[in-house]
Amino acid sequence: MTTDLGFWTLQTLNALQLSMLLFLLSIGLTVIFGLMHFVNLAHGALYALGAYIAASVASVAGFWAAIIIAPLGVALTGVLLYGGLIQRMRKSGPMAQVLVTFGLIFALLDLTRILWGDLALAMDTPALLSGQVNLLGVTYPTYRLFIILLGGVIFTALALTLARTQIGAMIRAGVDNDSMAACLGINVERLFFVVFCVGCALAGLAGAVAAPLLSVTPGMGLQILIPTLIVIVIGGLGSLKGAIAGSLIYGFVQTFGAVLAPQLASVLIYALLAAVLVIKPVGLFPAKG
Amino acid sequence: MLETRNLDKSFGAVHVTRDVSLKLERGERRVILGPNGAGKTTLFNQLVGELTPDSGSVHLAGEDVTALSVARRARQGLSRSYQKNTLFDGLTVEENLGLAASIHTGHASRLWSDCLSKPEVREIVQEVAEQVNLMPYLHATVSEISYGVRRQLEVGVALATRPLVLLMDEPTSGVGPEMSKGFHDLLNNLPRDLTMLIIEHDMDLAFDVADTITVLNYGEVVFDGLPEEARGSSLLKEIYLGSWENA
Amino acid sequence: MFRHTPLRYAALVLLIGAALTQTFTAGYFGLEILIEILILGMLVLALDLVAGFGGMVSLCHGALMGVGAYAFVTLNVLVGLDPWLSTLAAVAVTAGIAWVIGAICARSHGIYFIMATLAFGQMGYSYIFESPLFGGDDGMGGIDRFDLTSIGLDLNDSKTFALFCLAVLIAVYLFAAAILKSGLGRSLIGVMHNEKRMKALGQNTWRVKADVFGLSGIIAGIAGVLAAQHILFISPGMLAWTVSGEALVVVILGGLGTLVGPLIGAAFFVVLKHQVSEVTSHWHLVVGVVLIAVVMSRANGIFGWIEARYGAWIDRRLTDSTRTETPEEILTDA
Repeated sequence: MTTDLGFWTLQTLNALQLSMLLFLLSIGLTVIFGLMHFVNLAHGALYALGAYIAASVASVAGFWAAIIIAPLGVALTGVLLYGGLIQRMRKSGPMAQVLVTFGLIFALLDLTRILWGDLALAMDTPALLSGQVNLLGVTYPTYRLFIILLGGVIFTALALTLARTQIGAMIRAGVDNDSMAACLGINVERLFFVVFCVGCALAGLAGAVAAPLLSVTPGMGLQILIPTLIVIVIGGLGSLKGAIAGSLIYGFVQTFGAVLAPQLASVLIYALLAAVLVIKPVGLFPAKG
Repeated sequence: MLETRNLDKSFGAVHVTRDVSLKLERGERRVILGPNGAGKTTLFNQLVGELTPDSGSVHLAGEDVTALSVARRARQGLSRSYQKNTLFDGLTVEENLGLAASIHTGHASRLWSDCLSKPEVREIVQEVAEQVNLMPYLHATVSEISYGVRRQLEVGVALATRPLVLLMDEPTSGVGPEMSKGFHDLLNNLPRDLTMLIIEHDMDLAFDVADTITVLNYGEVVFDGLPEEARGSSLLKEIYLGSWENA
Repeated sequence: MFRHTPLRYAALVLLIGAALTQTFTAGYFGLEILIEILILGMLVLALDLVAGFGGMVSLCHGALMGVGAYAFVTLNVLVGLDPWLSTLAAVAVTAGIAWVIGAICARSHGIYFIMATLAFGQMGYSYIFESPLFGGDDGMGGIDRFDLTSIGLDLNDSKTFALFCLAVLIAVYLFAAAILKSGLGRSLIGVMHNEKRMKALGQNTWRVKADVFGLSGIIAGIAGVLAAQHILFISPGMLAWTVSGEALVVVILGGLGTLVGPLIGAAFFVVLKHQVSEVTSHWHLVVGVVLIAVVMSRANGIFGWIEARYGAWIDRRLTDSTRTETPEEILTDA
């Protein structure tokens, strides 16, 4: 079976789909870290929240409304978190931040339970994307292809925003040296706030598009957290390039590992992470040298 | 005792150390002068191994140590103090000195004995505390002592490893002229066989201690000789004093 | 540097007194809670040793405990080795693995160190979870507690097992305190305060970190062996990162870098968990909020807060007795 071209195409598509989902999550986390030096472990919980909001909205107003409302709802949660907690923790060490956001994971986990109950929710794929497509000799679910495209579009949009626009230049300056950026007259606080909200919205979007693929459970945030952290640590904290590279590495190692060496697959990615940290302790493409 | 041969280092387009060759005899006290940005601290960092030179070599007591780690060089007798206090902030003066001394005596990695209470360690702590006038402060933590006393401790910690060569990066930086003078008396009273390389900003003070003087400018040695010669050198006045007056 | 202040001695005596009272007065359920606290106490001592005194915030200590448990059960149940020999070997294996993890991670700092230890912990978790040799997802049972009938102790009796665990915890505490008062422990504290200077003074800092991480692995391994004997069943869940996360929460709640504090934290955490669980199923919400409150309060946990209050009280008494304050000074003090 491994000599069949269709097999490789199929697995490549699967790997890409996983990579893009992880990319949507990790880009927010990594830029928040790069810009604010803030470690938000609750990012995964925001993704779960996005999935819940999407599932609820979809059952009333359909898929397309859901993937617009979910990111907005999560961004709104982000605003509350930023005002209530994050802003005050900005100057604390990584340890305090890890712990506060760890506490947040616990709290959000139970809050989703209280609001939506313990049972898994399901969300249907929209009629437009529910079919299969013939691609390079394999039939592939349209919805998964949609995720790959969405990831690609978001990546391109972010890359262009960072490279070409004024706010992109401000973000790059802030990641490079935030006190210098502040001296240049950039309103660093407002920049942080905007970036934090966009990061949260992307986490919500990831949750919304993942919802039809997976069943929506309170634990889904905790499950995705570790892969997301691996992605940003392998890629190097703070950079777009690192986030996409880390996502692709994770997606491909995980997908091909699972079919080619199922015994080793789960250990493989952690071993890879350990190897990266030993050889390049700051990841492959860190924002700062 | 300490020698560098053709040390060279660049950061991108900035050439911070150009072909620096120095030779210090045992017991020699050499002061490095030079304007800000002349590459004095960068040179120190290469001597102790915190930076790797692009080319050239460092020799300690006749042995090439260029490839050795910071810690290995320190164990072979190269000790340094920092321009910006680099102390163990939560600990007392005694503990700061004791930690340094016990690394030297080898007690700092042992599991079943307390290095700080070893007689050899206590003896070094006592001696160094007397040498750098820290006796009244032994039980105070670093946060409780004044900036000037911290500067003394900064040198004391470096001394407590009983080095062959002591590198001091602006030991008097940030303290008043009165105290700087006292600091130089203190350095003059250290054992004569200790080789010292001192970065100093103030020329007059430098002449108090120096046997020999090296002047760096743009990473390059522009003067190497006796203090009397340095005083008369017009080149030195132009490069060093010129920029000093402008500063 | 680590010191046993009168306050710390007092806290230790109180803790031991409370544990003994609980042992002789509590019923079966109370004893189970006590044993849970005692074993968690060992794990958090191991974690405080590296995190509180070496700045090495580890998210793999739960996994190390799990390795101790799995190694013990594998040798004792699967191989059929003598339980004491199995214990010795299990603790040695855990310490060895911990040393290697410490040596590899020693170069990383801050968030990277946390991530690196997390990676190693999850590696262990995934391996055990997938591996049929160790029972995979199903875990392993068939575990017996140590046979101490020769000296008249039956560890299958909860009260005796609680006393046994208390004795081990006290031994582990003394071991940790001895490490901190040794040359190696002093070096570790030096590394935490200023690693750059320690290197400049000639100390091999990665070695110090790796050695203490290995020693901390001994404690985690002991905790693992006792955890296996306590529940008489082990599962991959013991190695999950959330166990390490909870241990870290306990250390923070109690007071990082105080050694006594994490023990208080362990008691507080387990009791709170059981109390809250009786009232509501949303126990995580409560612990999350408590954790956020403690970290935001900027106090160093429960014991750190007590120490700060006590220190301020001592200072006030000293100043009162050595000088008489002028009215202005009283005003500025307030």
